[in-house]
Amino acid sequence: MSREDVFQKVMEIIKPFVKNEDVFQQANESTNILQDLKVNSARLVDIILNFEDEFDVEVEDEDADSVNTVGDAVSLIMEKLAA
Amino acid sequence: MTGLSFGFRCGLVVQREVGRILGIIWIIPMAWLMEFFMKYRIKNVKDLRRRYRKLLSETRAPILICSNHLTMADSAVIAWALGGSWWYLFRYSRLPWNIPEYNNFSFLKFVGLGAWITKCIPVVRGGSREGVSRVIKKIDYLLRKGDTALIFAEAGRSRTGKVQIDNHAQAVGRILTTVPECQALCVYMRGDQQDTWSTVPKRGDSIYLDFEIFKPQSTFSGMRQSRDVAQQVVAHIADMESRYFAGRK
Repeated sequence: MSREDVFQKVMEIIKPFVKNEDVFQQANESTNILQDLKVNSARLVDIILNFEDEFDVEVEDEDADSVNTVGDAVSLIMEKLAA
Repeated sequence: MTGLSFGFRCGLVVQREVGRILGIIWIIPMAWLMEFFMKYRIKNVKDLRRRYRKLLSETRAPILICSNHLTMADSAVIAWALGGSWWYLFRYSRLPWNIPEYNNFSFLKFVGLGAWITKCIPVVRGGSREGVSRVIKKIDYLLRKGDTALIFAEAGRSRTGKVQIDNHAQAVGRILTTVPECQALCVYMRGDQQDTWSTVPKRGDSIYLDFEIFKPQSTFSGMRQSRDVAQQVVAHIADMESRYFAGRK
């Protein structure tokens, strides 16, 4: 799976949790999930668990500590898929 | 887990010892502030403290106090209700560390200093994941060292005035699943005049508080396990709330 494919799927998963639709439309890998998209921090856990289901990977709490931006999420998933 | 650097561990030891040395000038005044100025009354306080001390004498396991959250003074009121004031001077490790929102006091430097002395580890909710993770690692480290910590089971003060089961704090599950033998001391607290969330309980309020040890079990792993445990804890506190309201009828 290419990085672009992962990015598109990540955006699909994040979309239902986004409170700032305008920023979401312009989002790229440097967009901060909590601060720019205004996703509730408790919902970030739901998003990462959805990543687990969608990509069939397992994410530990400590792995999730590195996820601030959309690009961080994509990198984490790419890393897990390659493992 | 831990994974906390030597520098941060030293920082916590210094913070604890400075707070301990200065305990006489902040623990007693804070208790007096709540008792004589705010005129709070804790229902069945003698029985509550007897039960709490008995519980601590019977276990050496780390204890994470997990509470509902309605006011910004909850952690201070809970600590006072469970242990009084003088008792903590001699059992300082039992005075719970707590995790206030940094932005609530960051505008005043001296308040930040006060928070440091009074066993606070500030967190920026919704801030960088690394920052939040570091706070969790600090609490993890302190619990392993025999200290007690308090964390709100809900991610923020309840806007409905009732325990919000769907708004659990993931950190609760993460700490309970990583600190060996760690027990959750579920606390439900509510003033008689506390209809919804507020800054502090109303002056002169009579406050109900109860606690129960709860040992969540989960068959999941990873983040799912942390979420499951956090949800079980908040559900248990919601159950305590249901019993509280049933008892008031």
